[in-house]
Amino acid sequence: MTTSFQVKTLRTDSALRRFEDIRAMLPDVDNPSPIVRLNRVVPASRYKTYLKLEWLNPFGSLKDRTAAYLLAGLIERGELEGREIVEASSGNTAIALAALAGLAGSRLTTTIPDGVPEEKKVILRMLGAEVWETPDDLCPVDHPKDGAIALARSLAASENGERFVGTEQYENVDNVKAHYETTGPEIWAQTEGRVRWFYAGYGTTGTLTGVGRFLKERDPSIQIVGVEPEPGHRLPGLKSFKEARVPALLDESVIDRTVVVGDSDAYRVTKDLWRQEALMVGPSTGAVVSAISQTTDIDPDDVIVAISADSGMKYTSYFEEILGDDGRPSL
Amino acid sequence: MTDVRTQPAANDAAALSVDLDCSGLLCPLPVYKAALVLNQLSDGDQLRLVTTDPGALRDIPAMTRQRGDTLISVEEAEGRQVFQIEKGISR
Repeated sequence: MTTSFQVKTLRTDSALRRFEDIRAMLPDVDNPSPIVRLNRVVPASRYKTYLKLEWLNPFGSLKDRTAAYLLAGLIERGELEGREIVEASSGNTAIALAALAGLAGSRLTTTIPDGVPEEKKVILRMLGAEVWETPDDLCPVDHPKDGAIALARSLAASENGERFVGTEQYENVDNVKAHYETTGPEIWAQTEGRVRWFYAGYGTTGTLTGVGRFLKERDPSIQIVGVEPEPGHRLPGLKSFKEARVPALLDESVIDRTVVVGDSDAYRVTKDLWRQEALMVGPSTGAVVSAISQTTDIDPDDVIVAISADSGMKYTSYFEEILGDDGRPSL
Repeated sequence: MTDVRTQPAANDAAALSVDLDCSGLLCPLPVYKAALVLNQLSDGDQLRLVTTDPGALRDIPAMTRQRGDTLISVEEAEGRQVFQIEKGISR
């Protein structure tokens, strides 16, 4: 017996949270990452502070946006054909690139600073990436504290450039474009144009430059704040420009001020965010929220949006160290 | 492709001598690969490293100083640099 029944292919519908391919989950203004109000760590009675939870993106971080645009750029320019991707990363860009490269039929080799937590290295290897752990001081003469970046470039240039193509997130304007076209418009829409302050950490500076440009074009008085760690920090994803080069992507004209945050404050606030807000964020989020607390001239009615780049799940080995005996039964 | 060969050191039957050919690789790739090999060696073992990137003339001596290894000799000829390195402080 035959029937006239036809199986209809379901199509992606982000309103229903139904996706036919993991890549359709990548954020944009029609499918934004959520922003969530802080009520206790930064008292709700004081400011309207929202964290943009980038760890709810499909590959777990803010860098999903960057990786998608970097890869799309390579494909559009015909540079990926038959080659593997090489990128220097503290882990998040590499994780998203490894996932997306696999889907595109390629593979990622990543040079990763040797202080990056083991969790990220294992995730990368699970995704099929080749992981080159690199001391930041690999090249003390030419590239102090930027060893992973230098090694990625040398891999891309070696073997006549035939094996690897570099995505160069520290110099590639597609990185800025990702945030200009997605993160910035999302924040503007989600705050209904009321955002007054934007906070993000200095890393590749793609987020600060892209979001900063977008928001300044809407309202030049919006304050763009870069958060910088202290030299010798242990805050993956962030860069201290006292020890690392300033990326070529940074557009200083859109940055209004820089707040320097120490590791102890960053990790203390990270723990507060877990316990007081039930937000299981990574340590760079603690640094960014700590910078808000250090800003003294915010008006009470101002709307603040800060980037929570990733969750804490990839940093449990770091947290184990700061917790000590905290949470263990006392005799 | 990097070529690695291992043999007993000529001057010490107990020590190893490793050849690492990093021709065609740009710095800091030779530094990285040399450090990987040196990490596998014991004090007194030697590494003969061949490079073609002139940047190695600065990077390799800096690496050996930083690691506490001994740069025994450097030779330059026909666009190649040959470094003889002993792991640890030379006896």
